[in-house]
Amino acid sequence: MAEKQYCIDIKDLAVKFTTMDGVVHAINGVDLKIEKGKTLGLVGETGAGKTTTALSILRLIPNPPGEITSGTIVLEEKNIFEYTEKEMEAIRGKQVSMIFQDPMTSLNPVMTVGDQIAEVIQLHENVDAKGALEKAKEMLEMVGIPGNRAGEYPHQFSGGMKQRVIIAMALVCNPHLLIADEPTTALDVTIQAQVLDLMQKLKEKYGTSMLMITHDLGIVAEVCDEVSIMYAGRIVEHGTLEDIFNRTSHPYTEGLFGSLPNIEKREEELKPIPGLMPDPTNLPAGCPFHPRCVYCQEICKSRVPAQTHLSDTHTVACLAYEEGTGVSLGGKHS
Amino acid sequence: MSDVLLEVKNLTKYFETPAGTLHAVDGLTFRLERGKTLGVVGESGCGKSTTGRAILRLHEPTSGEVIFEGRDITGISQKEMTRLRTEMQMIFQDPFASLNPRKTVSEIIAEPLRLHKMFKNKKEQEKRVLELMELVGLSERLVNTYPHELDGGRRQRIGIARALAMKPKFIVCDEPVSALDVSIQAQILNLLKNLQKEFGLTYMFITHDLSVVNYFSDEIVVMYLGKVVEHASSEDLFAHPIHPYTKALLSAIPIPSLGARKERILLKGEITSPINPKPGCRFAPRCEYAQPCCFEQSPELKEQEPNHFVSCHFSDKF
Repeated sequence: MAEKQYCIDIKDLAVKFTTMDGVVHAINGVDLKIEKGKTLGLVGETGAGKTTTALSILRLIPNPPGEITSGTIVLEEKNIFEYTEKEMEAIRGKQVSMIFQDPMTSLNPVMTVGDQIAEVIQLHENVDAKGALEKAKEMLEMVGIPGNRAGEYPHQFSGGMKQRVIIAMALVCNPHLLIADEPTTALDVTIQAQVLDLMQKLKEKYGTSMLMITHDLGIVAEVCDEVSIMYAGRIVEHGTLEDIFNRTSHPYTEGLFGSLPNIEKREEELKPIPGLMPDPTNLPAGCPFHPRCVYCQEICKSRVPAQTHLSDTHTVACLAYEEGTGVSLGGKHS
Repeated sequence: MSDVLLEVKNLTKYFETPAGTLHAVDGLTFRLERGKTLGVVGESGCGKSTTGRAILRLHEPTSGEVIFEGRDITGISQKEMTRLRTEMQMIFQDPFASLNPRKTVSEIIAEPLRLHKMFKNKKEQEKRVLELMELVGLSERLVNTYPHELDGGRRQRIGIARALAMKPKFIVCDEPVSALDVSIQAQILNLLKNLQKEFGLTYMFITHDLSVVNYFSDEIVVMYLGKVVEHASSEDLFAHPIHPYTKALLSAIPIPSLGARKERILLKGEITSPINPKPGCRFAPRCEYAQPCCFEQSPELKEQEPNHFVSCHFSDKF
């Protein structure tokens, strides 16, 4: 079998923010890899560190208060922490681009959408203003907006159309990696369906790799190839779609599925995860999930679980899968 | 015999805007039995929140009747309405914006008790507040905290405790879980369900999340641009949707399991403006089956199958 080619390879990334209330340990040793042309879903709840991971890839962590304390991010075989700020600027929008969650606030309200897209082209490609605007119009057509609307301002577009403009802007320089941070959360379901469909088509057309950040496991099932489940700044489970959906192993992942109403069996009781997300300035010792875990044992409160390989594709960070810890998940797993 | 708590007849709410008349809710009719939950679903701007507010007269309805326990409440005086609000309450979407930031948890929950002069002395009032906090799962040590110190889930519990304070019969829940993370969302949904069982509450549950509404409701009303397009029991609606909009809406839900991928109906275009709407079916510009008559005449809501109401000229063909 041929060697797998990775678009991005993150190893042992750690990020902290020093705030007035203490040090926020946003990311604590994250490993992530995305194979070329594939989509990785990064799933977790508010404060899990999903967006911080994404911003680290673009080196957009505001410093201060943020600081990347360890790790490497290898993009196209080069560690991005070795780039100068100038080189980094050439990468953002060209090699890696990002779609933000809120289409209402991520466009410039006093610039026409055509000019905003053309700006990206002119920054990265050797074209004149006229040529850039032409290309911007083509790109608008590609995302289903008539090119003659290029002279309009963001407020003249609806939420779904603004998100299309942002997608056009993100893809116009044909990036190798597209980071989509909750791209459809602010949209209605029928519009969400349109936007996801569009992203999927464009991704296939250009062979772009994608990091899809979401809290919606339904979207993951539809667009992703692999999934990483994140909790309190750590990846607690990683695997292919089949691994995560059909061979769910981590108690947190199990809890996430239990919290979702089943649309086919409406009588089924919801089984919520008890408790709350831990305070990131004061993370619990041992496994960060232990205060909410129904299988928690004494050892979980002090020992940090390592990544256990369940198969070539499936890893989990839970002491129940480590030898000799005595932790058991009630016999339904392993 | 059915025990109807709330009946809404031809409820209409228009807003005058500089651009024309905005038809937020246009001729809504339904009945809600005691102890049941009516889900109202639809996308942004379909008039679902306005409906909830018009029923409680937080927006004065333009026309129509709201019959609560056999009495039309649209004409009654503000004073009487204030008294009636002890029986009809609301839980708001945004637990960040709907709580007074300068009041403590116990003050917020005590507010309705104070306003309606429920208790003669402070001791009894405090006892009731603690009782309510326990009921919604807020620990006693939080009595003197302020909303900004708490997370979204706990804030929503405060909103629920406040709504329950006057022992209402009917609660409008306007997107009560959409601002919350899934694990917290499930906690709040279970809480609302248990409270309903315990106190025989009747809910109107407004949401855009179809899997939540299916889990929660006995009956569902689907709205599009101020009109009801379909109204049926939850089982029926999810098993046999009839209206083309409902079908598209249901097919657009991303299902969190593998192998469940189904044919998705992609709607063309986007929701049109509710300001001075054109005659005809409001969904017609996006409907793949639209015929010339759909653009001319507005379809009536008719009983297509027993207790399954649809508003479409061609409902018998689907």
